[in-house]
Amino acid sequence: MTTTESHVGAVDRAKRRSGTHGLLQSLRRRPTWIQFGGPVTAVVILSIGFHLVSGTFLTLGNLRSVVEASAVPAIVAAGLSFVLIMGAIDLSIEGVMAATSMVVALLVANGVNGNHLGPLGIGLALLVAVAFGLCNGLLNAVLRMPSLIVTLGTWFIGLGMAAVLFPQRVPQIRDGLLLGVARIRILDFSLVVYIAVALVVAAQLLLNHTTRGRMIYAIGGEEHLLASTGIRIKGIKIAAFSLCGLFAGIGSLLLSAQLGSGNADIGSGHLFPAISASVLGGTVLTGGRGGAVQSALGALILEVLNNGLIQIGAGPYTRNIISGTVILSAVALGGWNRRRLLRVVK
Amino acid sequence: MSNAITLRGVRKAYGPVVALEGLDLEIGAGEVLGIVGQNGSGKSTLLKILSGLALPDRGEILMGGTSVLLDSAAAAARHGIGMVHQEQSLIPNLTVAENIFLDKAHPSKRHGIYRWSALNQAARAQLDKLSVTIPPTTLVETLRFSDRQQVEFAKVLAIEEMVDRPPVILFDEPTSLLTPDEIRGLFAQINRLRGRTSMVFVSHRLEEVLEISDRVIVLTDGRKVAERSSGSVDREELYELMVGRQRVDPSLRRAARPPVRAQMLLQVEQLGSHPHFRDISFKLGRGEVLGIVGVLGSGAEELCRALFGVIRPDAGTFILDGKQVKAAGPRAAVQRGIGYLPSDRRSEGMLPGRSLTDNTVITFGSQYGWKRTILNRRRERAAAQHWMTRLKVKMNKASAPITSLSGGNQQKVVLSKWLLARNLRLLLLDHPSRGLDPGARDDLFDVVREQVGQGLSVIFVADTISELLELSDQIVVMRDGEITARFAPSSGRLPREEDIVAAMV
Amino acid sequence: MQIAPDRRTTTRARPDYAAIARTLGPLAFLLLLVAASGAVAPGVLQADSMLGFLSDAAPVIALVVGGTFPILAGSIDLSVAGIASVTGVLVVVLNPVFGPWTSLAVVLLALAFGAVQGLVHCWLQLPSFIVSLASLSILTGLALLLSNATAEPIPSNDVLVGILGNTVAGLPNTIILLAVVVALLWLLMRYTGFGRDLYALGSGETAALMSGVNVRATRTLIFMLSAGCAAMAGLFLVSVTAFSSPTLAGNLLLLSIVGVVLGGTAISGGVGGLFAAVVGGLITAWLRIVTVIVGVAPTAQNIIFGLAALLAVAVTTDRKKLGVIK
Repeated sequence: MTTTESHVGAVDRAKRRSGTHGLLQSLRRRPTWIQFGGPVTAVVILSIGFHLVSGTFLTLGNLRSVVEASAVPAIVAAGLSFVLIMGAIDLSIEGVMAATSMVVALLVANGVNGNHLGPLGIGLALLVAVAFGLCNGLLNAVLRMPSLIVTLGTWFIGLGMAAVLFPQRVPQIRDGLLLGVARIRILDFSLVVYIAVALVVAAQLLLNHTTRGRMIYAIGGEEHLLASTGIRIKGIKIAAFSLCGLFAGIGSLLLSAQLGSGNADIGSGHLFPAISASVLGGTVLTGGRGGAVQSALGALILEVLNNGLIQIGAGPYTRNIISGTVILSAVALGGWNRRRLLRVVK
Repeated sequence: MSNAITLRGVRKAYGPVVALEGLDLEIGAGEVLGIVGQNGSGKSTLLKILSGLALPDRGEILMGGTSVLLDSAAAAARHGIGMVHQEQSLIPNLTVAENIFLDKAHPSKRHGIYRWSALNQAARAQLDKLSVTIPPTTLVETLRFSDRQQVEFAKVLAIEEMVDRPPVILFDEPTSLLTPDEIRGLFAQINRLRGRTSMVFVSHRLEEVLEISDRVIVLTDGRKVAERSSGSVDREELYELMVGRQRVDPSLRRAARPPVRAQMLLQVEQLGSHPHFRDISFKLGRGEVLGIVGVLGSGAEELCRALFGVIRPDAGTFILDGKQVKAAGPRAAVQRGIGYLPSDRRSEGMLPGRSLTDNTVITFGSQYGWKRTILNRRRERAAAQHWMTRLKVKMNKASAPITSLSGGNQQKVVLSKWLLARNLRLLLLDHPSRGLDPGARDDLFDVVREQVGQGLSVIFVADTISELLELSDQIVVMRDGEITARFAPSSGRLPREEDIVAAMV
Repeated sequence: MQIAPDRRTTTRARPDYAAIARTLGPLAFLLLLVAASGAVAPGVLQADSMLGFLSDAAPVIALVVGGTFPILAGSIDLSVAGIASVTGVLVVVLNPVFGPWTSLAVVLLALAFGAVQGLVHCWLQLPSFIVSLASLSILTGLALLLSNATAEPIPSNDVLVGILGNTVAGLPNTIILLAVVVALLWLLMRYTGFGRDLYALGSGETAALMSGVNVRATRTLIFMLSAGCAAMAGLFLVSVTAFSSPTLAGNLLLLSIVGVVLGGTAISGGVGGLFAAVVGGLITAWLRIVTVIVGVAPTAQNIIFGLAALLAVAVTTDRKKLGVIK
């Protein structure tokens, strides 16, 4: 017998569930698009607010720069939602991004070595990103180690790899294909934005219209019930971590393309905003709720906040402070009605 | 009538505890079979074996004349057996339709791609079988408990299409959390399916079992002791059969007990906590033992937890020593001199990795130190040793981890934690003898009795009627959150076991 | 009905090999590591290089000792590196206000910050990793904001930092202070209820709660101690460099956790202690020396420590206790 919850506890829980009937519940009954309403409203209200103060927020140029700036964070946040919805966590994003950036910069045409692998180099770099995710997933699902500590380890392994790979001087990227991604503009938006939209939509479809995607939600909902039905969940967990790695890798490639060089510090400052974005978009850290589109919208909210605050004169270093405060409040508000006398939270 | 399932000589034991012994059982095709019995009679074990959650140690299960191996829920489903769980098995954040087809392959999920509309339609068809109007797109967590049960029912019924024989549906205490109206609804569903599917209905509630079943089986101590068609039942006889081994020799009862002192300690008036219990009133004097008995879900355990401050009451008052007490968590209760021996020893009673001494002194160790701040480890150890010796804990050394002991000895250590207190006034014992061997139980009760003799008051949720009669000065029987009977053995008149059982089920 | 099967009915004595391995394993590993590096590069075992090592190791050990408390209780504090960095910055920034006693005031501030963190964590019932990760983000931003992203010299009138920079009888004062603090913490763990409550939270929090342990106070104190040790580590760092930088302790987050697990403290809680923390801290610090001897580039250290963390966690985690592993 390995279950730790008493029978009484379970009945208790069942009774409690049946007893709660709040506004939240009635909202959840609505179709999914309603879930996007909250974040979208937040973006609109914030934008108007900043415009009223600064007078320059709601200009076309500024809005465009907000969208451009939130593209990569949106990709990363969408990827992270695979893991967060399961109730797990992936801290390794920054390390994966760093390693991917260095690998791609050294494999495609560059200013340091003679490699000229082109698309193959890009593919290999993404494979590195997936390998990180795969490793996280295997350690978590097969070796049964908490994802928090596993990904903390791989985070720094990624950073270390990037540092080791870093050559004498900055590796400039000279690959036309990769650089083109950042340069090509359609309707005044760079290709990066379109890629971001496509990836977020793909992630949302994957989550909501495939069996495995829905199982990711189920893992976040009641993992032990799911396990007792005999459904194999290890593979799904590993896939979720791999996808998270892949998305972080793509984000890193796009950033490297924008930067025009490989950078070992490229991921820095992406982990925490990605978690904040997911939470702002409605993902609960205990799992089971949220989605790729919501997380991407959360990333947009953060970018609006950032941009707006800079417009109204807050310094460049407030970014971290704000996202830290925002996430704490979001998590606290979201979890307020889950507080219980006997609830154990570590 | 052919049989859907036949059990032959099934035995199942958990360690030293025999849950089922040589059980022979037939479940007829299309019949509703009711199973009644007290706590620990083997009902749940039987359901576990039928639904593939437990394997019997001996004996065989026959379906359609051949022996089958039910080694997982999936295997049971392949044979057309499904269970409507009491603790429900639905994933709360998925939709009704997804849950119905969660464990089944279905054309709407081919190649791992969801076709939502096809899936919802298929779910609709399943729900229509029960004439349930819940939209299949609803998230399960937003449903009421009774609706969720209907979904679970539909999920089990969907097995029908996966197998070529009529399904067998097991119900585990399906009515315990339903309102009377909802129970009527459930019974209507069962009647609708009667004749088409076989159903096993397990409940503590005799009335309901008699109403819904074609045939009733009484389990006592893991054995089938009676089998009646529900039309021809002598209730008195059933009560008597359910008492089983728990009959006590009257001469043993309440031997050498000092007379109860009249000084009042505790007054509970119309205490209620929705949905666990309501309108509970009783009084308890110093050095008195109140025994509470009730089947699972009767609210007795929750009442205990409410007195310890873990469940918040929403009505009534609780007066301890003339002062009204508010539920403010275990720590406040401990400071008021209330102790609680939880029924879930593994997660609430003991600290698994810690030593026997640490487990004993965790709560009151500091009172042996300097100003309750600087510990005096030597005196703590001595005090812990004293109580463990008194309780006859079988151990090698007090620094061994508590998990190295047997269940009975673990329970003794957990109890000793409370005996260490200098100001303990009220001790709540929630199923103290659960999973204990008779020797350990007697050691435990001897010490409790001795403490009661010195003025400690005890409220005690009994596992068996015999221990109830053995220890209690007052007896309260609870059913569905209410007190259904009171007895006062201390007044000299001993209640009959059958009367107690009749008030329980 | 619930039958609790008792697998063990006998209580025969058997030495707890696992526990012994957990205590002595890391120590043996440390000695082996030191001996091996001594064999390869005898210079590292000389007295002054040892003293250099110790003052180099002091910040890491302080962080590991602090980080051990949350992990013993089954939580985690990811904010320690942030606190250490901010400490360095505040010693400079607050100097005009508190004068020579600034560093003491900063340590008190850190304790208060830790208390707030602990309260937020247990009162709002938020997972400690997210609370401390948010703190890390806030503190990182704060360090940059307050220092304007520049390194500045530590004011020479600061009493505590001044003392820490000196030596007594050849021993760096950082080591002496660290030893005193560890001894005090040991007394706290041993002779007050705190130690017992801490282990109780780590081995079974529900049971601890049901036994009347003051969970909230204990958790608050845990995070106070963790933050206090981190601030101390920050002071150690600035006393060596004599400069405060907003990214002073940026790379110490991993080391602080690695040290805890390498010492044998289980990430699942309830197993380990101060001795393990000191040993783990020493291993971590010595591993840095080993990487230099072996010739691993300093940049690759993160790989070594990341792998070490994964390995140590794989070995020490009590998976049965965690149940469903997220």
